Amino acid sequence: MPVRPSRVGRVGVIRAPVAKTAVVAAAVTPGPAPIAKTAVVAAAVTPRVGRRRI
Amino acid sequence: MTEVSLDELGPVDYVVVEFPAGASNFTGEMAAELRALVDSGTIRVIDVLVLTKDADGTVEATELSDLGELGELQEIEAGLAELLAAEDVDHLAAAMEPGSTAGVLIWENLWAAPFASAARRSGGQLIADGRIPIQAIIASIQADEAATTTGA
Repeated sequence: MPVRPSRVGRVGVIRAPVAKTAVVAAAVTPGPAPIAKTAVVAAAVTPRVGRRRI
Repeated sequence: MTEVSLDELGPVDYVVVEFPAGASNFTGEMAAELRALVDSGTIRVIDVLVLTKDADGTVEATELSDLGELGELQEIEAGLAELLAAEDVDHLAAAMEPGSTAGVLIWENLWAAPFASAARRSGGQLIADGRIPIQAIIASIQADEAATTTGA
């Protein structure tokens, strides 16, 4: 089914082909990596816990 | 759609959510969550398209209104501004795998609009913005862990 005629012939707002990002669900699934990723990420963005900058 | 002053417009974002062939499981949960975001005034939905990409890479776009019974999305559909142009479709579909379906959602962050407007009135100008992917946070933490382990 085509898009509405009102969309045709206009200048787009997405200026370039979009690159696929890594899939988040796969990235946070516990795997062989030594870090319990989900918990560690949560800690990294927790107020006053975070991580040292230097 | 109500006319929005440019000065009062919040940041506009988009996502392309892909559903690989055979992996979709639509229960209405997504529509309900989207509706909740709209009802709470957190976002305003500007545009929605559903894209399908055939095995040979041919892309087809479908308007939300052409999907039939919309349920929770009916009111949202009525307020769409149709920001996307036909030429945007191929750019957005470039990220899709052949044989998949994807929902494209464009929204205004209403929650950010008052702050952005105040920043402009204060003489500030946006010089950069972006999103930090969870993957980048994970990579940073892992690098930190590795450095601690090796004593680097």
